[in-house]
Amino acid sequence: MIITSYAIGATRSYIYIRGEFDFGAKRLEEAIKEAHAKGYLGKNILGSGFEHEMYVHRGYGAYICGEETALLESIEGYRAQPRKKPPFPALAGLYGKPTVINNVETLSCIPAIIEKGAEWFKKLGPEKSPGPKIYCVSGHVKKPGLYELPMGTTARELIYGHCGGMLHETRPLKAFIPGGVSAPMLTPQDIDTPLDFDSLAAKGSMLGSGAVIVMDNSTCMVKMAYIINRFFSHESCGKCTPCRDGTPWLTKVLRRLEHGEGRPGDVELLESLCTNIFGRTFCPLGDGAVMALRGALKHFRQEFQYHVDHKMCPVS
Amino acid sequence: MVTVKINGIEVTVEDNTLILDAARQAGIDIPTFCYQADLMGVGSCRMCIVEIEGQKKLQPSCVTPVLHGMAINTETQAVQEARAGVLEFFLANHALDCPVCDKAGECELQDMVYRHGPHKGRHAEPKFKFHEKDYILSPVIVKNSNRCVNCMKCVRVCREVVGANVLGALGRGDHQEATSFARGPLDCDHCGNCIEVCPVGCFMRLPYRYKARPWDLKGADSVCSYCATGCRIVLEERDGVAVRSRAQLGVGINNETLCARGRFGFDYMTSPERITTPLIRKSGGLVPASWEEAFGFIKDAAASIPPDSIGAQPRGLRNEETYTFQKLMREALGSPNIDSSARWAHGAVEAFISAMAMDRGGVSVLDCVKTDTVFVIGAYVSEENPVTDYLIRRYSASRNMNVIVASPRAMKLDSSANLVVRHMPASEGALLEAVLAAMSGQEPDPKALGQAGISADEAKKIAAKLKGSESVGIMAGTDFLRYPSGIGALAKISAALEGLGKKVLRLPLLDRCNQRGAWEMGVHPALGPGYSRRETAGAGTDSMLDAARAGSLKMLYLAGTDLLAMNGDRGIAGEALAKLKLLVVQDMFLTETAKLAHVVLPGAALGEKDGTVTNQEGRVQAVKRLTRPPGKAMADLDIMTMLGSAIATGFPSKIKSASVFDEIRRETGIYETVDLAFNNKKNKGNGHDNKEALVRAAAARLEAKPDFKAAAPAGPDSYPFALVTGNHFFHSGTVSLRSETLAGLAREPVVEIGEEDAGKLGLSGGERVRVRGKNHEATMLLRVRKGTKKGVAFIPENFEGAHANMFFKRGEGIQRVLIERS
Ligand SMILES: Cc1cc2nc3c(=O)[nH]c(=O)nc-3n(C[C@H](O)[C@H](O)[C@H](O)COP(=O)(O)O)c2cc1C
Ligand code: SF4
Ligand code: SF4
Ligand code: SF4
Ligand code: SF4
Ligand code: FES
Repeated sequence: MIITSYAIGATRSYIYIRGEFDFGAKRLEEAIKEAHAKGYLGKNILGSGFEHEMYVHRGYGAYICGEETALLESIEGYRAQPRKKPPFPALAGLYGKPTVINNVETLSCIPAIIEKGAEWFKKLGPEKSPGPKIYCVSGHVKKPGLYELPMGTTARELIYGHCGGMLHETRPLKAFIPGGVSAPMLTPQDIDTPLDFDSLAAKGSMLGSGAVIVMDNSTCMVKMAYIINRFFSHESCGKCTPCRDGTPWLTKVLRRLEHGEGRPGDVELLESLCTNIFGRTFCPLGDGAVMALRGALKHFRQEFQYHVDHKMCPVS
Repeated sequence: MVTVKINGIEVTVEDNTLILDAARQAGIDIPTFCYQADLMGVGSCRMCIVEIEGQKKLQPSCVTPVLHGMAINTETQAVQEARAGVLEFFLANHALDCPVCDKAGECELQDMVYRHGPHKGRHAEPKFKFHEKDYILSPVIVKNSNRCVNCMKCVRVCREVVGANVLGALGRGDHQEATSFARGPLDCDHCGNCIEVCPVGCFMRLPYRYKARPWDLKGADSVCSYCATGCRIVLEERDGVAVRSRAQLGVGINNETLCARGRFGFDYMTSPERITTPLIRKSGGLVPASWEEAFGFIKDAAASIPPDSIGAQPRGLRNEETYTFQKLMREALGSPNIDSSARWAHGAVEAFISAMAMDRGGVSVLDCVKTDTVFVIGAYVSEENPVTDYLIRRYSASRNMNVIVASPRAMKLDSSANLVVRHMPASEGALLEAVLAAMSGQEPDPKALGQAGISADEAKKIAAKLKGSESVGIMAGTDFLRYPSGIGALAKISAALEGLGKKVLRLPLLDRCNQRGAWEMGVHPALGPGYSRRETAGAGTDSMLDAARAGSLKMLYLAGTDLLAMNGDRGIAGEALAKLKLLVVQDMFLTETAKLAHVVLPGAALGEKDGTVTNQEGRVQAVKRLTRPPGKAMADLDIMTMLGSAIATGFPSKIKSASVFDEIRRETGIYETVDLAFNNKKNKGNGHDNKEALVRAAAARLEAKPDFKAAAPAGPDSYPFALVTGNHFFHSGTVSLRSETLAGLAREPVVEIGEEDAGKLGLSGGERVRVRGKNHEATMLLRVRKGTKKGVAFIPENFEGAHANMFFKRGEGIQRVLIERS
């Protein structure tokens, strides 16, 4: 961050961290203190004449705080709700000043690029989106965890190689989410998709945060969709109508289905509500909720319909 | 300029015009919820989405500016479906309790659903409820969050326009609730603008609750009868009783905004304290009488009184009435003794008119707030002229401009100013002299600085801002009339700025409705209609009171003025009134003055008559009658003509208001071209500034010599506070005390001092304190205000329980007082 700030001439930077991450925040505070002591921060850094201060800002645990403009609002002490763009943060961001916002993962590539060179970096992973990527694998695998691998590692390599395969030998893969809960899920037939931006986009999904969720055939897709959707409606910031009032409605319908109280027409209702939300929200959170649900409906519509027709789950 | 196509219609609009506005210019209406012209765009409700050819997603038209060559469609199937979708989402958790909702019938959600569907509900789930019962947020606000559409207009208007900033949102997602902090009771401006902007029945008026359905109401276009900002209102009645006052978007300089007085203070009209019959004094007491008896009484008593022993004062009346009043006095009765203020010396009024160039025609406040620097001095604008304060706040937030506030007391507008100067009371002149010196590159006189209690640096900063501007808006208020020694410097500063080639716009800030109108009608001992100088001046208020005390003035006719409560020296006023042979008081209420009268004539409220009033800008606006005066009470114009025809020969017993206005046009000159036709239709645009309604310049300039000496402060040096007076936030004069709602907001007299002083005295707000001056002492509640100048104490002039004017004596300067725990 100090290097990036030097490059763009920023004298202040903030690390925004979820409030729950107590240990991480403390560690960051310590690191900033050390950097000060060593002269990497403060006035006239390493004799360069460059001045820089870095702050750790602890959030209060709202997903929307990750959206870049809501994050700025949050730092300024307001409710975390996305700002209208334009003006884009690069023109008028934090306290109205030009601001660059990046994930720490992005920024942490910079020292390595400087040390090893751009050529080295470009050779990692596919040509269009090179570099390392941290895949965060959870779900029904033997060894869930964080894996730093070259961009474009395939789902097969990740799940069956690095993660040691499916958790139970008797329960094969049913679906996986390649990039966080807003990424539409994929099925075993896409197992050889390289997990990078373009390849996943070609399959109608996305890399997003790189959080891979693996589900075996004991997973009820309605329940899965319900839990994901409940998350989104809970995290909706409330600013725009389609997301604020649409996602909780989806949740209510999904909960009914899951509890065996489905009604004829529910699947169509879900689809119609998705249409009324998607592309009409203020920020991508609402779209994310829809993409997740649409992914499940696309591959497992019959499972949803089964919940409506039989008022029970075909899986469990 | 850019050209775009909307639904195939080509329009050329200015750069950066929003699609929504461009569409409106093309005559195409796009439905909205969160958009409001006066507020910063948020683009959150998604009701206004439109299709832009070549773009995949529908775009919110209220925050998207047009680009050259854009092709926009507002009525495609996709757009219509999206609108219906948004509305369906609104309804998902909406209470849908229209039958018991005060808003039903004028609810934007109802109207939108009616027009844009969906006509069938699909949400068959349990609704989320914020609460079971409506809750009370303030003495004027009741809230039902279950009807909220989350447009946040309430929060935004409170922050961006009112500047009170006491609303926010609790919760997140569909639990987001726009309300006060923790839904607690509000200690705010109680202006109700949050109610007015709320498109649904969420923020509602408490005093109007369950009083009427919108379709039961009949309305009349009117003007607020309190301060001279001249906000346009619609007064509404049900079964002959006024039940609501509201403002309308796109109408008047105030648009949809009002202050607490304008929105809730109209209920003095229906006060049980209204006088409903003439009263005459018989064996010591006031007894009901018929109009004939009352006029007969006056005729008999006045018969032996020579004309120059008659004095008169009207206030708070329409132009037609004040004009007729002066005509009655001067022409029919032959008395030159007429004045329009119980509070201010007529010489000061004249000098102020001249210094503020009021005789040079009206100045739009909307032009004034578009200058490079707005300089507010001698005015407690945030509380005396709240909507003027809103305008300054709103424009200064969206423009690159200076706002300078010079005042002894801290005020809400401070937070919108980029230069705040706290000076000592009655030292506006010294401050301006210091600024003048700094403007001409000299070191300000230390004596002037000392008197004003400001630093040389502050004077220089003001000077620099003024000099650095091409246009300056000077907003000067009634403190110049209270302390006229500043008027000379006020005239000089405008002249100096004009000398430097700057455009100077002067806006007098006046605290009473139609104050300017009364002056322009010639209710002034030395000025006739249209600021024409009279050959021989009559007596002003103070001279009349002196003459009455000396026995040479025998009759006084007071219309709408509570002289005893408002005169600067209560002792003199009381003594004078007691000596009169005939005191005729025409009023709506039995004021303290009326209680001393020989004859009391029941007059009418502004909402009970047709006519015109002129605001501080010189904007002439029509008012229409809503209800009839109670009982035998009559419109003041009718009383005047009937009284005139009873005691003077040849005075008509009835004149039509409209024909009086025609005469006003002819006689004043400055009203000749005034256009009264005002567009009261709901107008979706903004910036409605009908300059044709402004008075024009008088043929000849009014020359006045502003040489007023300031009297030395009175009272022991050991008394640490300089006492200033003015209006309480919720009151103007004493009429507002008869409004049940306003009285409910503030019933008790207060004294206000700065935080620092309170700390030093070990006092805190809400305590009962004793205020001791050389002439008077009284107990009142202490109010502490952060940022008020050290050594300044303020007492409002409005409360009958604590007469501010008892602290003062004519001829004495500002009073020093002591404040101690009582
Ligand atoms: C609802 C929402 C939540 C987000 N949460 C995060 C987050 O937790 N962490 C993050 O780095 N970016 C998050 N983002 C993306 C950021 O807004 C931003 O695009 C990103 O941090 C840019 O950094 P990068 O270009 O380095 O990836 C979120 C975006 C949205 C719409
Ligand atoms: S999409 Fe959801 S999270 Fe984003 S602004 Fe709208 S309500 Fe807030
Ligand atoms: S009444 Fe006025 S000050 Fe009070 S909350 Fe509403 S808008 Fe704000
Ligand atoms: S209370 Fe009214 S104005 Fe405020 S957000 Fe809700 S609907 Fe909008
Ligand atoms: S600002 Fe003045 S005119 Fe406007 S509503 Fe308030 S008191 Fe009435
Ligand atoms: S009116 Fe445009 S988004 Fe609300």
